[in-house]
Amino acid sequence: MNEILRIENLSFVYGKGTPFEKVALDNVSVSFEKGKITGLIGHTGSGKSTLVNLLNGLYKPTDGKVYLDGKDIWENPKEIAKIRYRVGLVMQYPEYQLFDETVRADIGFGPRNLGLTEEEINERVIEAARFAGVGADLLDKSPFELSGGQKRRVAIAGIIAMRPDVLVLDEPAAGLDPRGRREILGSLRDYVNQVGASVILVSHSMEDMAHYCDNVVVMNSAKVYRTGTVKSIFSEAESLISVGLDVPMISRVADELRRRGIDLQGELYTVDGVKSAILRYVKEVRK
Amino acid sequence: MNDCIIKTENLGFTYADDEELATAEIPALAGVSINIGRGEYVAILGHNGSGKSTLAKLLNMILTPNVGKIYIDGRDITAEDFTEDDMFDIRRKIGMVFQNPDNQLVATVVEEDVAFGPENLGLPREEIRRRVNSSLSLVGMTEYARHAPHKLSGGQKQRVAIAGIIAMKPQVIIFDESTAMLDPQGRREVVDIMERLNREENITILNITHYMEEAARADRVIVINDGRIALDGTPREVFSNVEKLREMGLEAPQGNELILELKNAGIKIDGDSLTESECIETLYKFLS
Repeated sequence: MNEILRIENLSFVYGKGTPFEKVALDNVSVSFEKGKITGLIGHTGSGKSTLVNLLNGLYKPTDGKVYLDGKDIWENPKEIAKIRYRVGLVMQYPEYQLFDETVRADIGFGPRNLGLTEEEINERVIEAARFAGVGADLLDKSPFELSGGQKRRVAIAGIIAMRPDVLVLDEPAAGLDPRGRREILGSLRDYVNQVGASVILVSHSMEDMAHYCDNVVVMNSAKVYRTGTVKSIFSEAESLISVGLDVPMISRVADELRRRGIDLQGELYTVDGVKSAILRYVKEVRK
Repeated sequence: MNDCIIKTENLGFTYADDEELATAEIPALAGVSINIGRGEYVAILGHNGSGKSTLAKLLNMILTPNVGKIYIDGRDITAEDFTEDDMFDIRRKIGMVFQNPDNQLVATVVEEDVAFGPENLGLPREEIRRRVNSSLSLVGMTEYARHAPHKLSGGQKQRVAIAGIIAMKPQVIIFDESTAMLDPQGRREVVDIMERLNREENITILNITHYMEEAARADRVIVINDGRIALDGTPREVFSNVEKLREMGLEAPQGNELILELKNAGIKIDGDSLTESECIETLYKFLS
């Protein structure tokens, strides 16, 4: 596996040495594959957000290492700010972080801090806006004139504009309607394909995970519980339910049909996948 | 309808003079007339900006309508002689649970948080105690009565917020995307409680949500599109309009989506597919 991020024996304790000490991550090791979209799931308080904040150096590990492209990100602590450009983090409800006068200036804020020329900044703003689905007609508007979904996309574009090697998004589609979810999550695949970047996606929606991710990391009680491809993770419904998660409804339907002897094969965790499997099955039987 | 708890007539609302909204001249709601019967369990769907939250805020008097009438429990809340005291009375009848549980909890101990509303009603001590205990028991959080709310999971926090609402003895509870930030387990907990409050306590439930499978569990689904009511019926009726829902930026539960996709691919399949078990039976009958 060609990995972009690897963590080894990582632990993180909040309030160490105080009466409120809490182990948020307990000796966790896991790798994230380059050029893939990896989903990160787990119940509330399982350690997902802590892990995400460790990946880009916002938190310093209590113990263990984070390797970006094979290099320990804390090797030189003075350089840690540079890591934050390479591992771009889109936090929850990022639209509350917009601040500049125009959408263009807001998206260009990161590239400007990188010390690029005006021409380069402009190029990056246009590219990032395109990936995040921000229309060119919006660039000279105030971010505060936009709808919630548009603001969210501007905030994502602001991170993409720094061309991070790894784009980490914490619940980027929370609170959006189905079309809004599709637009934001669908654009991630284009971004990965065209730029070769890697994406880590945190979400509570099993349907979105099944639809948009290649691999999945499952967290439970401060540890990594499972890792694997979407297919392998969602074929174990019971083990996911046992840690407060679920599988998409359509997987439960396909599972039950298989249990009753209908031998469906393929990607049985999206509507499209199950549809294809049924069409293949019908064709086989008719033969 | 005599036993209407909520009734609106030609309701309209425009966010005027509001710089935050670019669409200031377009009404957020227009010509909305609905009757919600006492004890109904209704899901409200609509894309972002469709007007569904505006409706919720009008019903709870956070906003006042520009046009039309709203009757709560028979009382015209848009009438000229409607006083501030009347408004508090209405707010007590209609409780709201919001998206982010962290924004709704005020105290440092769970039972104190639940007691906050009843205390403000000036109720006697024993009555407050009784209400706190029964509310916590209804949401299954009795054993956490003396815990700190911030240490609970998202679903548990939301259950405490609901207990705080129940302690006010409302007739209606509006859930405004109350499950959007929860993990699957938390979502199940909250939806189970909605059902229980409806079935056992006869509380009218309005669940505003983006999760179609949640909406499928209600008795009635209302779809709002561009400020108007687009669909209104049982989940079965509403979710049979898969293509119309897609045009409105929504979708149907996965079972309905699958059956429609199969039909579009030329498969002659028929039967119900709203719930997981219906979908299984329909497919099994066809495939076996």
